[in-house]
Amino acid sequence: MTWGSRCLLGLVSLVVGSLPLQAQSPADPAVARGQAQFVQNCGFCHGADATGARGPDLTRSTLVHADLHGELIAPVIKNGRVDRGMPPLALTDAQIADVVAFLHARVKEAMASNRGPGRDYPLSKLLTGDAAAGGAYFHGPGGCSGCHSDASLAGIASKYGTVELQQRMLYPGRMDRDQVTVHLPNRKTVTGTLLHRDEFLVALRDAEGNYHAFDPARVRVDEQDSLAAHRKLLGSLSDVELHNLYAYLATLK
Amino acid sequence: MHAPFAASLSRSLLRRAWVGAAAALFMTGLVAGQGLDPKILLQPATTDWPTYNGDYSGRRFSPLRQINAGDIGDLALAWAFPNVPATIKSTPLVVNGVMYFTVPEHVFAIDARSGTLIWHYHYAAPGDHIGHRGVAMYRNWIYFTTPDAHLICLNANDGSVRWNIELADPKQGYFSTMAPLVVDHGTPHVIVGVSGDVTDIPGYLTSYDPETGKMQWRWYTEPKPGEPGSETWPNADAREHGGGMTWMTGTYDPEAHLLYWGTGNPNPVLAGESRPGDNLYTCSIVALNPETGKLVWAFQPSPHDLHDWDAVETPVLFDAPFHGKPRKLLAQASRNGFFFLLDRLTGEHLVTAPFIDVNWAQGIDAKGRPIPRPDKAPSPQGSLVEPGSDGATNWMSPSFDPQTGLFYVVARRIFSVFYKTNDGKPEGWAGRDRNLWANSTIRALDYQTGKVVWDHEIGQGESTAGIMTTAGGLLFSADLNHNLLALDPRSGKTLWHLNMGNGVDASPMTYELDGRQYYVIGVGGTLYAFTVPEAQAHP
Repeated sequence: MTWGSRCLLGLVSLVVGSLPLQAQSPADPAVARGQAQFVQNCGFCHGADATGARGPDLTRSTLVHADLHGELIAPVIKNGRVDRGMPPLALTDAQIADVVAFLHARVKEAMASNRGPGRDYPLSKLLTGDAAAGGAYFHGPGGCSGCHSDASLAGIASKYGTVELQQRMLYPGRMDRDQVTVHLPNRKTVTGTLLHRDEFLVALRDAEGNYHAFDPARVRVDEQDSLAAHRKLLGSLSDVELHNLYAYLATLK
Repeated sequence: MHAPFAASLSRSLLRRAWVGAAAALFMTGLVAGQGLDPKILLQPATTDWPTYNGDYSGRRFSPLRQINAGDIGDLALAWAFPNVPATIKSTPLVVNGVMYFTVPEHVFAIDARSGTLIWHYHYAAPGDHIGHRGVAMYRNWIYFTTPDAHLICLNANDGSVRWNIELADPKQGYFSTMAPLVVDHGTPHVIVGVSGDVTDIPGYLTSYDPETGKMQWRWYTEPKPGEPGSETWPNADAREHGGGMTWMTGTYDPEAHLLYWGTGNPNPVLAGESRPGDNLYTCSIVALNPETGKLVWAFQPSPHDLHDWDAVETPVLFDAPFHGKPRKLLAQASRNGFFFLLDRLTGEHLVTAPFIDVNWAQGIDAKGRPIPRPDKAPSPQGSLVEPGSDGATNWMSPSFDPQTGLFYVVARRIFSVFYKTNDGKPEGWAGRDRNLWANSTIRALDYQTGKVVWDHEIGQGESTAGIMTTAGGLLFSADLNHNLLALDPRSGKTLWHLNMGNGVDASPMTYELDGRQYYVIGVGGTLYAFTVPEAQAHP
């Protein structure tokens, strides 16, 4: 799903940086109480996390999804489903309400799984590579050291979140606008920061702050694309190299 | 008003707009009760645009030629309909001089001559508001899907509700954004799909009686136990929660009397350990009998998908030679980056070829399906995949131009890292990918090989502007710098552009009314209609 929304350059790091934390320890005490009740009374059949064992997965149960405030779940707990081997459970109304709160929280957690890794994503999950091999790649075939040095990247692993570091390592986004030189028919050149470029207009701002616009059909445009090397790498980097490189950068605290 | 518009909006056009508005009031009265005879849909559209794709074939090719390669430079604004409360992603219908278009919760009926409002219908609903594709029409009735997965039948004259039924239970996570399809081969059907993959729910396609809203049949993406395809699921739990939404409008071959539909990704979306197997009929193109909903054949562009690559992109139908022999063909440029050509009568696979760079496949199997590379599956540590989940293309319209014999697609290069985040049993998405960088291009493909014939770069980012071709020798689309584009469909060269100051997330359409051809495109929350000056229109 998710019909592609426009991909804005540089947005990646912003999105990663501002994502809400993934569903974590429930803030609602009823959910915590309900979880304890559930594990004790229901977990043997439905799994401690309600994703099913001998009994069905309740996180994807149509009955649980259709339930608003326990009106569907409570009768099942109270009366059981004897025909399917589920006995009635002697829980109080308050305990049942807690179990209902826990099940709803589990459904919400499953639905929130499309947020992807958050800021608190454990480094251990990302650290599958070999830092030494990553360092060799950085200083060797990766070509990274052509633009970056260990010194210039010092502290980078402390500066960014775990996933954010991996994202920025691969493609840092458009931190600086490209520098561009426009060669005019009269052999003069204009140099500055690129503001806009399509097949109909090139616009830039020079060092003095002046705006210039040209018809790209009548000039030659040299664009200094500072991220070209990163894009080239995206097309050739293997996942092993990626994770080795990440393991190496993660050492640059 | 944006400067280029001011230049192109001539006084005479404004004057004509007023005359048109007056005529429209008269015409609207005249039109009431006429509606759309479903038999008209059996022939390719000529002047109207009576279905989501313009006609049943999904080619998005119009035979109109008043706006053409010779006079496109004189194209000028006819009217604009602004202040729509969301980005327009729908394709309008035009029938009997009235245009019907949508955004989530809203239907607008406007005068196709002047852009003046005839009626507006609002249905406030919770649910996903990601976008809306448009309506279907049968006789004097309009069919509209909603964020809470209802199907509403409206009176085309005034937007009053005739009936409102539930397509699916929104509490389970269903919604609907698609434009239904009307098929009448003796018995009328309005065929409607459902959406939603945040929860693990089954996809299906339903046919209703357009008069009463009574269900005629329902085809489930997941086969019943023992049916062919059920063996591609490990157990009932996986199969009954397997996803495969029918997000988009299908196509129809009246001669073969077959309905063609694409299905979406399996669930859980990015984690496959609880659903080993091909997971039929998710990420598939299926041919169904429109009277019964029974499956006739199926082809699966993405077996055991792990990347959200719905195969719901338009299955485009055309008759053309293949290896020298005339064939009834079906082509899809799929979200996974591959172009597929099939025999639409039998489902026989003819061509599989990537239409843009992809790094996830290690070959093509005997059935013509790409074979996924295991190391490109989403992983806890992140897997670098091209394309990302947004896809090498998506819902925006492709086009087939019978004059050039070329298939056109908006193609995106998207690099993305796929993370699988579940610790226990996967539920819902169980992860997500993060885009790194993307750019987009309009591509012409040789349908017999899938090879790229020309390539027109349209900038950095992911284009969601669709394509239409016309007998006027034009290909309409847009770039990512807010320019509307008309290209030469043979070469890809730009013939016309207009910067709108806003991006396009819609597919273009065209119609002819009172001897004038109009080209229509949604830009942000405004619908624009262009035409050529009257001197050219009536030489």
